[in-house]
Amino acid sequence: MKFFVTLCSIFLMILCQGQNKQLLYNVNGLPQTLMENPGANIAFDRHIGVPFLSKISLLAGSSGVNIHDIFDNSNANINQRVANTIRRLSSRDYFMAQEQLEILSFGWKLNKDNYISTGIYQEMDAFAYFPKDPAILVSQGNKDYINIPFDFSHVSFTGEVLTVYHVGLNRKLNRQVTVGARIKMYSGIFNVESVNNTGTFLTISTPDGPNYYRQFADNLDVRVNTSGFASLQDNNKTVQEASRELIGRSFFGGNIGAGLDMGGTFRVKDNVVVSGSILDLGLMWQREDVESYTYKGTYQTDGIEPLFPGIGTDGETFRYWDEFEDEVDRNLVDKTLREPYVTWRPMKFNAAVEMTFGESYLPCDYRVEAKKQYHSKVGMHLFGIRRPRDIKYALSTYYDRKLGSNLRMKVSYTLDDFSYTNIGLLLSTNFKSFNFYLAADNLLGYANLAQSNYQSVQMGFQFIIIK
Amino acid sequence: MLVHHIRTALAVLFACWMTSCVKDVDLDQAGNITLQPEIQADLLIFEIDQKEFTEPKTNIFSNVIRDTVRLEFLDDSYIQNDLAKVEFSFRYRNSFPQSFANKISFLSEQDNLQHQVEFITEAGSMGNPSITEVIEVIETENIDVIKRSIKMVVEIEALTNDKPFLGILRFESKGLFSFQF
Repeated sequence: MKFFVTLCSIFLMILCQGQNKQLLYNVNGLPQTLMENPGANIAFDRHIGVPFLSKISLLAGSSGVNIHDIFDNSNANINQRVANTIRRLSSRDYFMAQEQLEILSFGWKLNKDNYISTGIYQEMDAFAYFPKDPAILVSQGNKDYINIPFDFSHVSFTGEVLTVYHVGLNRKLNRQVTVGARIKMYSGIFNVESVNNTGTFLTISTPDGPNYYRQFADNLDVRVNTSGFASLQDNNKTVQEASRELIGRSFFGGNIGAGLDMGGTFRVKDNVVVSGSILDLGLMWQREDVESYTYKGTYQTDGIEPLFPGIGTDGETFRYWDEFEDEVDRNLVDKTLREPYVTWRPMKFNAAVEMTFGESYLPCDYRVEAKKQYHSKVGMHLFGIRRPRDIKYALSTYYDRKLGSNLRMKVSYTLDDFSYTNIGLLLSTNFKSFNFYLAADNLLGYANLAQSNYQSVQMGFQFIIIK
Repeated sequence: MLVHHIRTALAVLFACWMTSCVKDVDLDQAGNITLQPEIQADLLIFEIDQKEFTEPKTNIFSNVIRDTVRLEFLDDSYIQNDLAKVEFSFRYRNSFPQSFANKISFLSEQDNLQHQVEFITEAGSMGNPSITEVIEVIETENIDVIKRSIKMVVEIEALTNDKPFLGILRFESKGLFSFQF
């Protein structure tokens, strides 16, 4: 049994990584739960968010290093710590930052079974794997890495800023099943990506000649796609013109895309509910203001070979270096392209099972047919997000408790790549129909943010109407 | 009572968030971060035999030959601003039965001598070439001689003797460039 538990723990630690909003998932009193699962069970009839304040979500994480690792004030040798950190991190480690700001959010019940929700939000998402080999090459050079290739596939990152317009329908099919879907239109502001790079740089020792070493750039194919950056590099553009352009892009003035959220909730038993959702199943067509940089090819060299005598008939030395550069340029081709490209949104999925307990006793009224209600839930939630090389997961367990009609609390414990001590807390409180919620993850990290690998916070103000 | 506890928790959560701090770090150290890569790079190679010492048009033997290679990268900003030290390695494999006097010079754009390495390659034989290796270190205090250079001149003088002038002379060279960015 002990072995089994250990095995399960190891499996979960390997599996569970990522970044999620588990505190807002399956919170049936908050409209934001519909953004995590359009097919969630909800317990309100109408909502309208305070513009720009109904959801502010900030999240940042680094799977392998924190600020203290680098800037520890007890040790003056920062360069040694940087070197140790680069050595310790692997190409599977990653850095990410996300930001979401709801600009508009509202929804209403169309009839007994259908709830429509719509709005606009702005989102920033940046993700980068640690480029281990290029980082070693830049910071340490190749001296201690003779016969060891530097792998350029380690370079893999994405970043985007966009505005999302969405409308979703939540439909209760029967007492057991609720389903929902949300259509999203994306209006891109910036995009950058460099994924699926290949190639190695290698220096091998050649004791039998012709030189000390032979250097290879083998099958290099590195590409960085950008949209929305090239036009802003125009030095003649004023700040006002640049601002106007950025605002224009938020209203479909730049690149566009489309996506879909889907989800559902199934009441297995009176007190057992399973749910799941897929979010941002969509793509962006990057066509406007695009610029891509590529570096491609294969080349090897043993050095420059002079041909004695070195003086030509005109008295000039032969242009060995120019010939060498031309040969490198012919074989390792560097191009700037302006061609459209397509990017996939980082698709997310949620799956949860929860059990309700603790019956709420409503005021006795023989005129109202009251359904049995529970004030507490415990559940388990698996979150995943697709990233360029793999899917990042997070597994949470949670306890969710209603405290009367005006207060709700949710405590979670999450296993992910960033921390094994991630305790999160959501508090949502109503004053009449005015709602305020605050959710924060990794509470222990707030004691010293420098030693934390991950923090996230979500908060918002809105009106939630329950008839 | 429980509601009271939760309101307290809400206050604590807010307080926690608002009073969260960054401790035990000194962000001013960022200014001290340097990258110190050490790059091994091949420089020149050649393989010559007795024919190279004869002027093709006149067929006259000359016991001194030389060639010049511009090393344009020495003018690049990463060399000019960030090069801290260089260690050159030169290796000759000689199967001539004669010795050679070698001169490797670094010249500026105006052909002013900045640095020179001189050494003798011992005589060898076809079956047993002699190997001569020289390592020349240019420390930080002298690094400007490399920063001012743009040309590398290799000069070989055959020290003839009464044995037949016949063989192969192979040259290998590399630089270990240490930077401080």
